Amino acid sequence: MTGSRARLDAHLTEEDRQGLADGSLPPDRRAGAESHVAACADCAGDVARLHALMTRLQELPDAQADEFDTLWPAIRLRIEGGKVVPFAADATTVRRTRSRARLAVIITGVAAALVLAFVLGRESRSRAGDVVATGNGTTPLVSVADSSRQYQEEVQALLEEFELRRATMRPATTATVERDLRIIDDAIDELKDALARDPNNAALRQLLAASYRQKRDLLKQVDNAS
Amino acid sequence: MTQRALAHPPVTANDVPVSSDDDVVRRAQQGDVDAFERLYREQAPAVHALARRMLGNESAARETVQDVFVRAWERLGSFRGESAFGTWLHRVGVNVILNQLRVVRRDVGRFTDDEPDDGAPVAGPPDSGIDARIDLDAAIARLPAGARTVFVLHDIEGFAHDEIAQMLGLAPGTIRAHLWRARRQLMRYLDA
Repeated sequence: MTGSRARLDAHLTEEDRQGLADGSLPPDRRAGAESHVAACADCAGDVARLHALMTRLQELPDAQADEFDTLWPAIRLRIEGGKVVPFAADATTVRRTRSRARLAVIITGVAAALVLAFVLGRESRSRAGDVVATGNGTTPLVSVADSSRQYQEEVQALLEEFELRRATMRPATTATVERDLRIIDDAIDELKDALARDPNNAALRQLLAASYRQKRDLLKQVDNAS
Repeated sequence: MTQRALAHPPVTANDVPVSSDDDVVRRAQQGDVDAFERLYREQAPAVHALARRMLGNESAARETVQDVFVRAWERLGSFRGESAFGTWLHRVGVNVILNQLRVVRRDVGRFTDDEPDDGAPVAGPPDSGIDARIDLDAAIARLPAGARTVFVLHDIEGFAHDEIAQMLGLAPGTIRAHLWRARRQLMRYLDA
């Protein structure tokens, strides 16, 4: 019996095959494994298939950037909401299960922000200025408290443009935009109600301005994409 | 295998080149949400791909993209520019996703409990109404959660066995076993 026949009698172990395919097999074992593969069609074929899988993985494409336009308004809303809440984010974040709908997350976030803004607004009324703290309490930010009107005007113009272009848009796109607009409008309505009850709350004014800005940005994205 | 950084070259929604990653990141760190939006537009597809492959669920992945960027915003101050922003964000994303998996599965140890024996069917064949040819992403989504997590972290994202073992609190040998099993299952799915 020849040496090569002896090598063929004992196929490579799973560790050897996987290690040859991904290059992780130690050098002192590699030579022997390669020698076996050169003489054994079964092992060679298996290693080749494993290697082909790994090669294919490197070519997996990412999604297109514009698929994520609709996610940004909700992220921005959460970020903007965080700016006016001077607590560590971990302390205020409620762990969510992934089965919750995005709408519920946003509405819950706005509701939580409203409660916090109400409490914090009472404390902040005696402080001068509109500069607010970030989540970590270190970076001053320019207030957006008085920009709601400006955003509202822009939003109105963009809404009119959206209505004009609606007929030329894909139904699925229109539905997505309308859904996101409804989410933002719900937040705006809640903030307006809260402001009616507490008109001097600077934090609420900033949240409202931020919500208008979300709406403007969403409509601008639609406008740019059309 | 080298750990994969996210999204290069930068792309924006309007195809306007990002002027300088460093400059945009610096502005974002100073609280400029518009600058952070540019980073989002550049990196969101890769974060989404990571989340979709690790979670195996599109709607959960889209929600996780939001969580990752909110978390990144909160942690921007800790980015010191020692790596590419995409690499740092990639690690933030992995941490967020692993935390979510832990919450869902209650403890990391159960990563080892739900794995079927090698060779046993993990799920039924694809629905007859669905295209018989399963693409690679769909096949990855069919893997059991533990095997999928290890497989994505190693074979797609480029983490080493030891790093993954540390992330998941498992022995390196267990990581290798998950990885090999995942590859075998994928090959069976793709051959089906």
